[in-house]
Amino acid sequence: MAELFESVNWALIAPLIVIQLILQVVALIDWFRIERTNGPKIMWLFIILLLNMIGPILYFVIGRRQE
Amino acid sequence: MQFLTVFKREMLESGRNFKWIWVPLVFILLGLSDPLSTYYLPQIIESVGGLPEGASFEIPTPPPHDVLMMSLAQFSQLGVLVIALMSMGLIAGERKSGVAELVLVKPVKYSTYVSAKWAATSVLVLVSLFAGLLASWYYVNLLFGNISFSNLLATWFFYGLWLLFVISISVFMNSLFKVPGLVGFMTIVLVILTSIMTTVLDHILDWSPAKLSPYIRMMLSEGTISGDLWATALITIGISIGLLAAAIYTFRTKEMA
Repeated sequence: MAELFESVNWALIAPLIVIQLILQVVALIDWFRIERTNGPKIMWLFIILLLNMIGPILYFVIGRRQE
Repeated sequence: MQFLTVFKREMLESGRNFKWIWVPLVFILLGLSDPLSTYYLPQIIESVGGLPEGASFEIPTPPPHDVLMMSLAQFSQLGVLVIALMSMGLIAGERKSGVAELVLVKPVKYSTYVSAKWAATSVLVLVSLFAGLLASWYYVNLLFGNISFSNLLATWFFYGLWLLFVISISVFMNSLFKVPGLVGFMTIVLVILTSIMTTVLDHILDWSPAKLSPYIRMMLSEGTISGDLWATALITIGISIGLLAAAIYTFRTKEMA
């Protein structure tokens, strides 16, 4: 695994991590502001925080209540 | 002018929903993932695969346009899913909550209302697709080899038509059903059906919208835009307009209750 870490050019991977972070932060901001979500609100916090990449997307697609 | 008003309201709404942030980002992620994972495939196999000692096999590096096509395949699966889920509440949600009635009580034509919503979604999706393709193109150029920018623009144009077709299906479904979940489900079913029909009736349906991707692949590898691609593009535009007209018609004849 250590070899893999060294062989990876991090400049290439950085954009992925940045995008993932932006998605997560935006989802969190929205999570704080929104009143109710589909399903328990606290559940969505864990989904956003724990599931990489997919978590925030799931939140935006399914979790946000269409008023 | 009414068109612009509804269009602007829809844009504002997408901004408030953060759609203008997350949809482009998702497309960029989808576009990046394939060039990167293809490039690092040997290392990934080496580190996770329990290959026997001394075993080695060469993985040929795919040509640049194949990698770009992998990203397109990604857009066709997850991208279409995101579009269907994102647009399922477009009109259905507003009818359910009664917002649609508030809008249509004013002298706004049904056709204006439907087409403005379609246009707003289309702009968002086309911009997102461009961002995703640009990301993929940049990485392909960096890691695999050259694809000209004009080829990228052509890919964007023709593939965009396929996504507009998907949005048109979604708008049509929005006019048929009032439950957003059902709208999303039926949209995906219809898109999958189109692909299956095209595969099964390959010899008859030469210009089916689902054929856009194979023709784009041909365009990228051969460097010329074939007549088939133009014909398919025209058919796709035609069907999309037809779907929109059908949506406006069902919307008008149906009771708004």
